[in-house]
Amino acid sequence: MAEPRDDSLMNRFDDFGLRRFKARDAVVSVLLVAALLVLFAGHSVLKAGDEMNPGIGRAIVVAVGHPSSWIAGQLPLASAAHTTTAFLNPEPALSGPGFAAVTRGAQASTVTPAAFPPATIGARAPPKVALHTLLVTGDSMSEPLDSDLAGDLIPKGVHVVQDPHIGTGISTTFIVNWAQLSAYQVKRYHPDAIVVFIGANDGFPMSGPSGQQVSCCDAQWAAIYANRVRQMANTYRQDGAAHVYWLTLPTPRDAARARISRVVNAAIEVGVQPWAAQVSVIDTVPIFTPGGVYRDAMKIDGVETIVRESDGIHLNAAGSALLAQTVLAAVRRDFTD
Amino acid sequence: MLFPTIQFAIFFPVVLTISWALMPHPRAWKPFMLLASYVFYAAAGWTFCFLLAGVTLGNQAAALLLHRTEDERRRRVIVGVAVALNLLVLAVFKYYSFFVQQWADVFHHVGLGAPLPLLTIALPVGVSFYTFQAISYVVDVKRRHVEPASLIDFAVYLSFFPHLVAGPIVRAREFLPQLTSPRDPDRVAVSSGLSLIALGIIKKVVIADFLATAVVDPVFAVPQAYKAPDVLLAAYGYAAQIYCDFSGYTDMAIGLALLLGFILPQNFRSPYRATGFRDFWRRWHMTLSRFIRDDLFIPLGGSRGGTLLTYRNLMITMVLVGLWHGAAWPFVLWGAFHGVGLCVEHAIGGRFKLPGWLRWLVTFHLIVLGWILFRATSLANFWLFLTRLTVFGPATLWTAPVLLAIAVVVGFQLPPPRLLERLQGRIERLRPLVVACGLAVVIVVAGATVSSQGVPPFIYFRF
Repeated sequence: MAEPRDDSLMNRFDDFGLRRFKARDAVVSVLLVAALLVLFAGHSVLKAGDEMNPGIGRAIVVAVGHPSSWIAGQLPLASAAHTTTAFLNPEPALSGPGFAAVTRGAQASTVTPAAFPPATIGARAPPKVALHTLLVTGDSMSEPLDSDLAGDLIPKGVHVVQDPHIGTGISTTFIVNWAQLSAYQVKRYHPDAIVVFIGANDGFPMSGPSGQQVSCCDAQWAAIYANRVRQMANTYRQDGAAHVYWLTLPTPRDAARARISRVVNAAIEVGVQPWAAQVSVIDTVPIFTPGGVYRDAMKIDGVETIVRESDGIHLNAAGSALLAQTVLAAVRRDFTD
Repeated sequence: MLFPTIQFAIFFPVVLTISWALMPHPRAWKPFMLLASYVFYAAAGWTFCFLLAGVTLGNQAAALLLHRTEDERRRRVIVGVAVALNLLVLAVFKYYSFFVQQWADVFHHVGLGAPLPLLTIALPVGVSFYTFQAISYVVDVKRRHVEPASLIDFAVYLSFFPHLVAGPIVRAREFLPQLTSPRDPDRVAVSSGLSLIALGIIKKVVIADFLATAVVDPVFAVPQAYKAPDVLLAAYGYAAQIYCDFSGYTDMAIGLALLLGFILPQNFRSPYRATGFRDFWRRWHMTLSRFIRDDLFIPLGGSRGGTLLTYRNLMITMVLVGLWHGAAWPFVLWGAFHGVGLCVEHAIGGRFKLPGWLRWLVTFHLIVLGWILFRATSLANFWLFLTRLTVFGPATLWTAPVLLAIAVVVGFQLPPPRLLERLQGRIERLRPLVVACGLAVVIVVAGATVSSQGVPPFIYFRF
């Protein structure tokens, strides 16, 4: 048997005399680390579990999270650690009532002129105005659409804010509460136009009007979702000072996800109706998945081109570039170049 | 399942404890470790486990056939078929969409339709790493560097969760001997393992992810929004980010394996200290470099066939290294760029004696230039990035934390290795409980820097 040379330094730990501890030390040390983490950050376990998709992994993390959270809550260590390290947190401090107000007070609102896009009633379109700031936001669906839009608009002097929030959804507030986030975005950036592309992670149970949990995806769930969309759309439109472009989800490959996306899309259509003149729905289904039938590829400029990522959910670079053109065409209808 | 996550923080202590409890009983330990590794892998997608099992069975069958055959011709055929099947797995899962799209474009230009269905296929996490390890095993058996392992040993070797999804690429002859007898419970590098995990978390969570968010991702996404100073900063920032991201993963992988009693090969050795391309590849992703050298460059003829053949072999090797990283033209060109660098270095030989600092400076900046190509989303994006380097204007992203992060990453690689080793050795000689407390502090502080969207995946998970 040939003896090849050791070019990967396999003996490095022996050479430096570092293998001098016992296995028991390894186990005790790791358990000590785990115990310290429970004491100083025990709430994080439950939070992480809440953010996970349903399944056995989530069940285990949540099961560990409950006692961890309880232990951390009994001692001042976790709050002390949180206070000490709070300055490192990269997230903005969000505040406000969130979506709770919507679910408690669902009442029929008065129809306003904002519900009628001029074209639908044969009226003249309002004069175009200059676009100063465009906000592109949503979940991972908004990437790389945000870069495509920025690439086109920044050279024209438009300030483009790219603010994707990966893994988030309107039906879950574990990672971020979109009611609060949308209010924060408007206050911080004052956008003239907002592109929203979100919903790929949705399908979580939501609280109904009387506080009960409503599972996806019946009409009751769709109504709660539509109310949340409505609240966000109202925030983004800034009393008519801004125009919102809300994109529906192209049908995903997975049948279960396709069912959710159909309901999400229907809820978007209903949610924005009171301000249809200021909130345009850009329906991606006819573009990418006509008839709601998933496809990986489609013809772009006559060439059969793959437009979806391998996960069967997201658009790839080619698909995103195509969608960006559609969004830009819509933006140009309302704003000057 | 990512290492720096709550899920893994629950998974690992359980596995570690049971692993050492079962260690004296290999018949129980091996199935347990196999199960733990498959559970770890299933967290990324349980269907991928079938592919891993298939690769395991196929390559084990090839190794056994090789062992039973003395006829050299038959042995060459067996190893050829095994390598081809492994590459076919890679081709289907990693390159199908890319090549079919390229063909569709070509066929369109000559007035024909797409020759094959344009489909997107989910990339199984770690497939590039474990197929290479499988190839390495079969080739080692063919070269009689190792005897065929038992099926369970080979399965544990291939799926061992610390190195499963992003390496290091461990040779069979390095890992299988560690499986033949139980690990010695009195000789465990506990403090080294814990400190490597802490170092990996700092590199990945604190530095790499910070640089990505603060400067690299925004600039590479829309280079036209930034002027030369910011674009330059993003280039240096990416060099620091990719090193911290990948070597951080490797540190954690090696540290976790150490706690389980196993030693994995070193994968990085201060790569930004390199004074040439050849030197760089001896320091960067060392386990890929040696695999490519032993199993591709040398079988192609290496540098034995004269100057031109050496250049050809270098170019083929490096283009394939680029392609290994991903099915996209920027990766291919990145590989070619390094190939050209190696060829030029070979051509120059020792003819020009430049001062060491100048060789370092030139090498470092060429490596950074290569990273721009590597990070670019397309060739157009790369070109746009370069052109923005000529547009002067204000520096909007030059903040003290960004500059400090880049300076620390590059600066820590420049002192003589002995100095760093001495510093590392001091930490690794501390009592394990002291290092464990340090690790807990690192996790709490690093956790505070994580955004609500969690820890982004490691860059090399895509490969």
